[in-house]
Amino acid sequence: MNSKSTLKRRDARKGAAFSSIYVIYSVIFWGYPFVWLFVLAFSKWKYFGSPKFNGIYNFLKLFNDPVFWKSFLNIMNFMLYFIPLVLVGSLLFAMGMKRLKYGKTFVGLAFLLANISSGVAYSIMFSKMFSENGPLNQMLDKLFGVRIPWFTNPQWALFSIVIIVVWKFVGYYGLIIYSGLNSIPKEVYEAAKIDGATRWEQFRFITLPLLNPSIVMILVFSITLSFGIFTEPYMITGGGPLRSTLTPMMLMYTTAFQKMDPAYSATMSILVALMSFGIIWLTRKIVERDVSLT
Amino acid sequence: MKNKFLVLFIIILTTISFSKTKIVFWTAPNPNQEAFWKEMVSRYNSQNGDMEIEWSTIPAAGSSEEAILTAVASGRAPDVCTNIFSGFSAQLSEIGALYEMSSLPGFGDLVKNRKMENIMKSWEYDGKSYIIPLYSNSVLMWWRKDILKELGWDNPPRTYSDIYKLSQQISTKDSDKFSIRVIQGRNWNDRWFDYITYFYAAGQGESYVDLDRYRANISGTTGKEVAKFIETMFKNKWTAVDLGDAAFYKGYIVGSLKGPWEIAYAKNQFPDVYNNIVLSPAPVPDNYPADKPVYTFADSKGLVIFETSKHKKEAWEFVKWIFNQKDFDSMWLEYTQMPPAREDLLENPLFENFFKENPYAAEYAKFVKYAIPPAQTTKTVDIQDEMTVSLIEPMMYGTKTSDDAIKDAAKKINKLLW
Repeated sequence: MNSKSTLKRRDARKGAAFSSIYVIYSVIFWGYPFVWLFVLAFSKWKYFGSPKFNGIYNFLKLFNDPVFWKSFLNIMNFMLYFIPLVLVGSLLFAMGMKRLKYGKTFVGLAFLLANISSGVAYSIMFSKMFSENGPLNQMLDKLFGVRIPWFTNPQWALFSIVIIVVWKFVGYYGLIIYSGLNSIPKEVYEAAKIDGATRWEQFRFITLPLLNPSIVMILVFSITLSFGIFTEPYMITGGGPLRSTLTPMMLMYTTAFQKMDPAYSATMSILVALMSFGIIWLTRKIVERDVSLT
Repeated sequence: MKNKFLVLFIIILTTISFSKTKIVFWTAPNPNQEAFWKEMVSRYNSQNGDMEIEWSTIPAAGSSEEAILTAVASGRAPDVCTNIFSGFSAQLSEIGALYEMSSLPGFGDLVKNRKMENIMKSWEYDGKSYIIPLYSNSVLMWWRKDILKELGWDNPPRTYSDIYKLSQQISTKDSDKFSIRVIQGRNWNDRWFDYITYFYAAGQGESYVDLDRYRANISGTTGKEVAKFIETMFKNKWTAVDLGDAAFYKGYIVGSLKGPWEIAYAKNQFPDVYNNIVLSPAPVPDNYPADKPVYTFADSKGLVIFETSKHKKEAWEFVKWIFNQKDFDSMWLEYTQMPPAREDLLENPLFENFFKENPYAAEYAKFVKYAIPPAQTTKTVDIQDEMTVSLIEPMMYGTKTSDDAIKDAAKKINKLLW
């Protein structure tokens, strides 16, 4: 009995020692900036000197800032295109992978390559590819006699950014769904077949419900990603045309480092974090189900 | 024990008395400028025994401004720094981060010797100088000489009407081609290379912001003429929102505003086109006198001393030493190909050879004295962002008339400046 509790204590000490590295790291690189963020949100400060308390001025300014709300609406618009596209795309990718007999690793890695590519590099590539006289428009012009204003029409510009981000994440999210598909036992499908279920019924009543944890995970990732989108619009459209691709992240960056107002930018980041947290919470409430085979 | 302390004290004292004053100096992260400063700093360090320059490029970050602001916030700002544009220097001056140089001994002589008395005036903030401009890239129109000749133009178009005429010629011939790139892009800083350049040209250097009255100055005759020009070009489809990649070199357009940094690119990437280029000032309204100089925008960066520096006097001595080097500007020109911010570039024999060998650079040098940096306001980014969204884009997409766009933009800029 005694030796058991000594062992437990030793294990606990070891555990604490291992986790302390992460705790210390979090305190320095997460906790400290987090506290500083809140201090800034209630202050007036421009990098030089000490912050001066200015109450809720930054929050009031934020609630009346049409540019901030425009960037928020842009993200909602972005999610409206992005989430269905990436979800369907990754589901198709995973189901395709499942049916592959050979080269699964190669296909998986090939799709994952987009995810690990440099955002700056592929942004430049896409901006050239989608430009007015770029290869894509030249092909469309030859085949159908039309040119698409990929980055020059406000709605197309946002949609074009969505296409790029979907391309980047479809492989990654697809692999999450693929592992979800693999965890569904074959016996369930066999039993359904014996009961006379069609392929669609198998998908609708077995695959989809059992994939719920993977789908919720992708939804949470997608919402977090949407609120953090920066490189693609910053590099390709600069937030235009008519601020249609301006994202909260871009606004925060320009406010802090170009307009020299880090306190206001900190306030924005708090509100954006709260809003993304709220949307994630709501999504989980609506979509998440307790899935169990027993 | 007592002896040990005495020895330690002597060692510390000796170390202090023999240690050199270190000046931290940051320069632009650009290979040509790095090579230049490397040589200049090593020359200084070898000639000055009591001071040492600790030179490095501005640390890697999203932008130079971001790296500098982070350094200022964390108390790690350098003593001396280059690559500061005028708007940023105004912002830094406003928060008291920059050391005022105009009252320092030798400042007047430095300005006089470098022949930049007029240039300095447009760099002042609140009547004081916090920054010394290093180079001044004027912005000029590049024209495809070969295409112009085909269309019967021996000289490049000068006025708005000339450009309309050229546009009509091109559009009737080929609807996929255009006369000029009117708008360079949608970022706030693109306004320097289109609207503000047109504005300076049309208004003989008049500023787009009235800094005394804290108001936008875009509703007057100059602003109306420039806006009408932009509106006319887009309305008639004589230019396009997106002209694609390298449109000038591929012949999709005949002219575009460009800075001298484009010379090396054109020479290396498009050598055939390079020999068929002719440069001219930015287009002007029809009633602009032909004999008057045409002003333009100066894409210019300068050097500052930070207020946080513990060695401000020594830093100032270093700055003076730099500008007192006889070959400073000629060497700068050789290394970077960017015209030093001085008014005697074409008269000074120091630069004669360089400009003889580089005729396009000489053309740019002619305009250095007529090149004006952005308005010295702390709201540069906000103003130019508003110009983009409320003035330029509505005209590009035809959602507002030029008059309405001006009214809207002026109202919003006034609010920003208030």
